Parts: sequence; structure tokens; C-alpha cells
Amino acid sequence: MSPRRVPGGLDRLPQMIAEQVVNLVMEAIDINAIVAKVDVDALIQKVDVNGIIERVDVNDVVQRVDVDDILQRVDINALMARVDVNALVANMDIDALLEQTELGSIIARSTTGVFTEVLDVIRAQGVGLDGFVARWTNRVLRRKPSSIPLGPPLLVAPRAPAATAATPALEVGS
Amino acid sequence: MATPSELPVAESLQGHYAGVVSRLAALAADLGLIWGLYLLAAAAVNVAVQLISGKTFDLTSHRAASAGALVLWGFVYFTYQWTLSGKTVGMAVLGLRVVQADGSSVRGRQAVVRTLVLGISLLFFIPVGIAMVIQRERRALHDLAAHTAVVYSWDARAARLRWLARQDPAASAAPLDASTPPAA
Repeated sequence: MSPRRVPGGLDRLPQMIAEQVVNLVMEAIDINAIVAKVDVDALIQKVDVNGIIERVDVNDVVQRVDVDDILQRVDINALMARVDVNALVANMDIDALLEQTELGSIIARSTTGVFTEVLDVIRAQGVGLDGFVARWTNRVLRRKPSSIPLGPPLLVAPRAPAATAATPALEVGS
Repeated sequence: MATPSELPVAESLQGHYAGVVSRLAALAADLGLIWGLYLLAAAAVNVAVQLISGKTFDLTSHRAASAGALVLWGFVYFTYQWTLSGKTVGMAVLGLRVVQADGSSVRGRQAVVRTLVLGISLLFFIPVGIAMVIQRERRALHDLAAHTAVVYSWDARAARLRWLARQDPAASAAPLDASTPPAA
């Protein structure tokens, strides 16, 4: 080391000597070797993390966070571009999802439009003709429609006396 | 196609005893399907035998065998479908279902009895049909023997929604009133 000129007075000399000594010591120390000797796991185990967390006022920390500012910094488009939607959908059980919604039945009904339309018409015509036959049978046999059971007891509730006169079984126009 | 008054007619008939016309139409459809599938199977058997033996073969010329095969096929057709879901293909088309007399699902033994007695009903088609028309619950001979009944099972409410959607999409959003009387 070359001797240096001392700027200022003798009052700064101790300070300069100290700086030089510290620099020499720091150069002599192998920091990596020291860090390698430190047992970090043992050190962490001694730290009372719960105690530290208990001291932290999370609400206060959260209140200090400017969420709007963070969100403005986020590039949503870039984020979405990273998402593999196909992989996401492939992992979803779409059938189970549809079973829990009305969507499945709506899709089924909309995709079979012509077929169901024909079925509806056939069935409606059949019901109409059934009513026609039942009405004339009751008329010929002089049987009151209200005396005829509507259906099996587990499927159809017994008709109320007041309602029977207004809506007799199968008394519909055809 | 249907008129506005036709579909709401059946709105409240789900679970009611099915009428004679619907039942006969379903039976006719089933018998036609049984016969058609039998002819297809017989043709396949004929071709297979010809390919194997090199001789001309016609299953229908063997009356006993063909009749036995047809009866067996008909038995399997009705029994299997009634046991499985309470309805055959023809009944599904007409929106009908076989249930026990109290309305619960039909059992295998009942399906077997119903199928066996159905053969007798077909032999005495006219008197059995007349009796079914007169009977209050419209139960035929095979229904009485198997303690079963036939009811409407199609969802007329959904049918009405579909019909409204086809006519006017905005109308389908309107609330349904099941008690709405059909137009005269």
C-alpha cells in the first residue's frame, strides 16, 4: 500500500486508519467459506416464526397496499396468454357440470328439434283421440267422468270434489 | 303440425291412465318393429347359411322354426324393455309407460306375466280391446293379469315450451300456467 496524503487535520486520522484496517480485514476474510459453515436449518429452527407473525398487524399491512395500483401494473392480456385454456378445459368434467345445470336438457332439446317436434305432434294427436274415445265411451255408458280415476295413486293425487266438475278426466276437445 | 290448442291439452295428463288410441298405436309400432327386425335377422341368417353350406336357405320356409323364433324374439323384446324402463320403443314414441297398479316401477316377474298374457290378448284382440275401452282404468287383460297399468309419461310441459319456442321465442320466456284451459 502506498502512503496517502492526509487531507484535513489529525482529527480525521483515526477514522482513516479504521477504514484502512476494515478494508484489509474484509479482503482477508473468505465470506463464502464462513457462510458455508453456517447451519442455516438450525438457525431457522431457532427463529420463533409464530412469534414474529403474531407481532405483525396483517390488517395494517393490507391497508397500506394499493391494490388498484398493483392491478394497473398487471398486464392481464399477457397473463391470459400464458394460460393454457385447452389444458384447463381438458381437466374439467364437462358432463358432470352439465348434469348439474339445465344446460344439458336445453342443448338436448335444441339439437333434436325436428325429431321432438314430430314426437310432440304424434303424442298430442294421440292424447286428443284418447279423449275423444273416452268422452264417447262415457256418454254411451252414461258414466260420469268424475267417477273415473285419473291414474295410479302414487302418480296422481285423488281429485278434489270441487275440481272434478270443472276438469273431468280426458274431457278435452280433439 | 300442431295447433296452439293441441299441446296444452295434455299439460296435466302426465301419470294419468293412457287412452286406447295411444296404446293401440304404440302396440302397432312395436309389432311392426318386431316384424321388421325379425325379417332383417332372418335375411341375415339366410345369407349366412348360404355362405357356409353353399345351399339355398330360407328360414321362413321352416314354419315351426320361424314361428318359434318370432315368438321368442317378441317375448324378449317386450319383457326386456318393460323390465328395463317400463316402456318399449313404440311406447316411448307415444309417450307411454307401464307401471304397477299403484304407480310404482314394474318388476321383472310382472313384465314376464304381462308379455305372456299379451299373447292371449292379441289372440282375442277385439273383445279384449272393447273391454279395455269400457274398463274404468283402461287396463287390458294383460294389465289385470300382471297388476300393471299404462300411463302417459311424456313431459307435455316441456313439449309446450318447445312449441312456444318454435312459434315465438319471446313467448317461451313467459311464465307457464298449468291450469290454462285449452282453447276450444
